[in-house]
Amino acid sequence: MTLRIAGGRVYDPANGIAGDVRDVCLNDGKVVEDVPEDAPRIDARGMVVMPGGVDIHAHIAGPKVNAARRLTPEEHRGDPVERSEIMRSGSGGTVPSTFVTGYRYALLGYTTVVEAATPPLAARHVLAELRDTPMIDSLFLVLLGNNQALFDLIRSDPARVRDAVAWWLEATGGYGVKLVNPGGVERWKRGDGNVSSLDDVVAGVTPREVLATIAGAVHDLELPHPVHVHCNNLGIGGNWRTTLDTLDTMQGRRAHLAHLQFHAYGGKPGGRLRSRAPELAEYLGAHPEFSADVGQVMFGDAMTMTADAPVSERLRDITGGKWVNADTEVETGCGIVPFTYREKNYVHALQWGIGLELFLLSRDPWRLVLSTDHPNGGSFLSYPRLIRLLMDREFRNEQLRKANKKAIQSTVLLDDLDREYSLEEIAIITRAGPARLLGLRDKGQLGVGADADVTLYDDLPDREEMFATPRYVIKGGRVVVRDGELVEALPGDLVRVGAEHDPDVEAVLRDRFEERYSVQFDSYPVTEPWLLEPARRVAAGKPV
Amino acid sequence: MPSSDQRATCGGCGLVCDDIAVVVGDDGGLEHLDRTCPLGDAWFRARVTAVPPLARIDGHETELDRALDEAAAILAGARAPLVYGLGQTTCETPRAAVALAETLGAVIDPAGPLLDGASGLAFSARGASTATLGDVRDRADVVVVWRADPVTTHPRLLERLRLPDASRELIVVDERRTETAAQADTFIELPADRDVEALWTLRALVRDAPVASEPPLDDLAARLRGGRSAAVLHHVRGYAAALGLHALVRDLCQVTHAVAVTLRHESNAAGAEDVLAWQTGYPAAVSFAQGYPRSNPGELSAAALLERGDADAALVVGSDPLRQLPPQAAEHLRAIPFVSVDVHGTATADAARVAFTTAAAGVHRAGVVHRLDGVPIPLRALLESSRPSDDDMLQAIAGRLA
Repeated sequence: MTLRIAGGRVYDPANGIAGDVRDVCLNDGKVVEDVPEDAPRIDARGMVVMPGGVDIHAHIAGPKVNAARRLTPEEHRGDPVERSEIMRSGSGGTVPSTFVTGYRYALLGYTTVVEAATPPLAARHVLAELRDTPMIDSLFLVLLGNNQALFDLIRSDPARVRDAVAWWLEATGGYGVKLVNPGGVERWKRGDGNVSSLDDVVAGVTPREVLATIAGAVHDLELPHPVHVHCNNLGIGGNWRTTLDTLDTMQGRRAHLAHLQFHAYGGKPGGRLRSRAPELAEYLGAHPEFSADVGQVMFGDAMTMTADAPVSERLRDITGGKWVNADTEVETGCGIVPFTYREKNYVHALQWGIGLELFLLSRDPWRLVLSTDHPNGGSFLSYPRLIRLLMDREFRNEQLRKANKKAIQSTVLLDDLDREYSLEEIAIITRAGPARLLGLRDKGQLGVGADADVTLYDDLPDREEMFATPRYVIKGGRVVVRDGELVEALPGDLVRVGAEHDPDVEAVLRDRFEERYSVQFDSYPVTEPWLLEPARRVAAGKPV
Repeated sequence: MPSSDQRATCGGCGLVCDDIAVVVGDDGGLEHLDRTCPLGDAWFRARVTAVPPLARIDGHETELDRALDEAAAILAGARAPLVYGLGQTTCETPRAAVALAETLGAVIDPAGPLLDGASGLAFSARGASTATLGDVRDRADVVVVWRADPVTTHPRLLERLRLPDASRELIVVDERRTETAAQADTFIELPADRDVEALWTLRALVRDAPVASEPPLDDLAARLRGGRSAAVLHHVRGYAAALGLHALVRDLCQVTHAVAVTLRHESNAAGAEDVLAWQTGYPAAVSFAQGYPRSNPGELSAAALLERGDADAALVVGSDPLRQLPPQAAEHLRAIPFVSVDVHGTATADAARVAFTTAAAGVHRAGVVHRLDGVPIPLRALLESSRPSDDDMLQAIAGRLA
């Protein structure tokens, strides 16, 4: 399929294009230099043209997400989605059904999404859901931060960890490595409480050893995405020091921090939270090897879901409402608590404010990118509102006045922080930056050879409206959204990493499996073609 | 096919043991099975012996195309069709079944809630604390089996949990001394209608609230509180009891680590509900009559619909409801035209207007089921079969509706 997107204002930051009026030509699923003059065209004059959005951190598929769906029939009742000629039916709410998740991401102009927390044991379940999530290319990160078999290796044979990590990625179809509260979840599951420092001992290892060894393995394997870390002590007063300590253990290796907002708190454990966003923004600015997504909190309904089960236990005691805990034997934990962020609540308003501080103080949009940790801080459907908060100072100030005063006064948001994000910067934090951090060279950019994933917006003064209702969304060269309506439903691809491992590691792991897991080693690797295909591989190794 | 040793996974119950060794004989049949239990032996045997013809109408063998036409005509002509079962399928089949139900504007309801009780419904009300089998095996030092007899229903459960074990406690609560109770350290006799009362009393006891109690429950509460990690493996039926059980475990979590696991009977009971939940937002009792999914278990469960006479045709997949439904519901099912898709002979298939007997996942086809704790486990293909699979059949019916 050939298409010329003619005369739009193009924002393609990866290629240094910031609002130039030019054509973007597509052929056979890719961006090309040119297409014949008589090729089908979209008259994009007056429109803003960007690469399709890339969500670097969301929870959209797998047992944890599905448990949240089962937990909230009332939300689904309130947001039914009818079937149409091209769409399957489903339901919405903070955790939509799979089909609806795909449609709504596409309607928002997003074409690539990372499922950020997959227990390897549940890879088949995640893959099956992703296959039922249309419209978007998807990739997932495997949880390796509380894996007892890996702990064994870290203790006894750390040189093998690199091969083990590569094996786990190959066995699951995963793209990258996620560490969630390394060591802390396992310690909590043992009934010994969460860890509080990186030097607490869990099963003979410390969080620091886990971080350093696995980050080292990811580095040595030259995976396209660095280790993706949900730091210890999420949500605890004073945790900004843990965050800095975590980065310290990287010793110059790359790392991506998930939902930094939740890890940017001053104060003392159990005491009143304070903002340490300025210090973290400063630190991040000075360390080009690190990146983060913000994990912005948005006022309204959310669904907290995390492998960090001790955090969910705390949230359970705050809400007193629905709560799920699900232990996954030697791999991880899981907690789910429906949650509502209220603007008059000090803590919620402070979290909201800290997220905004991080954005507004960020020196490098390429390394501090947009997320709400969907659906933890709010649904992905709130991204347009978040974009308006960043782009529209007056709107932001109005919202600041409505939020808890004490909280906002304890941030620097009222201290002449009048920055407004430009469209170019929005294009960076929502597509170009995440794609670069993920090492997805065909995504987030519109250079020749890039995937033909393109979003066209009307250039509306109300940026929320603009980003909530793209005029056109093009996926793999096909127009899938026109004038805010889905016009074609397409399956997406799985994007998985290709990393080599020494086959000898399988014998080492087999011994540990038979003792530690409740499934056979031979049952563990995903081999089913209907779950793994179609897939594209991004090879590990230095970019050529 | 030459004689060979192969690994197999058994779908005989919700445990889905994946360590079975199989010898395939020179005749292409299953010559020997290793590590199966009696349920597993029966499960494999039913898939390879006395298997009915691929397609039958009113019990008579017929051509596949004719049977497919007839099945499609029955479903397309119905005002209020029901799609039911799915607990004995692999996850591919509920995917096809939901698509078909959506096209038909049907109600779709997995058999799991009928067979395993209201635990899923209680989950949606309050949530739960749960775990995979490895956690129960390696962490729980107090294991309570509540209103379940896994030695009979999940014969390898205790072996797989390495129970009994001198350093861990196994306690059985039931109305009579079951086979599982015979292996337990402690048996607590509790009449069948006393679950709710006993669970609420235990809640008070583990929270140290003042409550009039009796020695066995006092003692149980003390053991639950005193353990490092407690697991309650259960098969409670009613909604109030399921709520009480989850609430008890939640209360226990304030004192120690505690989880509950429902001992689901069918090998893919969990998977069928998972597929419905991810595709529609609801795990069971979903109606597509309005063009979008709507769920209301009290109103839309298969048993409720059939008892009210509100279904006028049915598609039964991987299930034997005539043996399982309450009598009045079963009677109505017999009275309406229905289609059966299964991998072996059942009473339901024999009574169906149209019956398909397809290649069997776990014997002739690979597939994935979700074990009773939700862990996805691959079933393997061991033998050749020229028959299509059950999801092929659903897609063929769907193709005739277009």
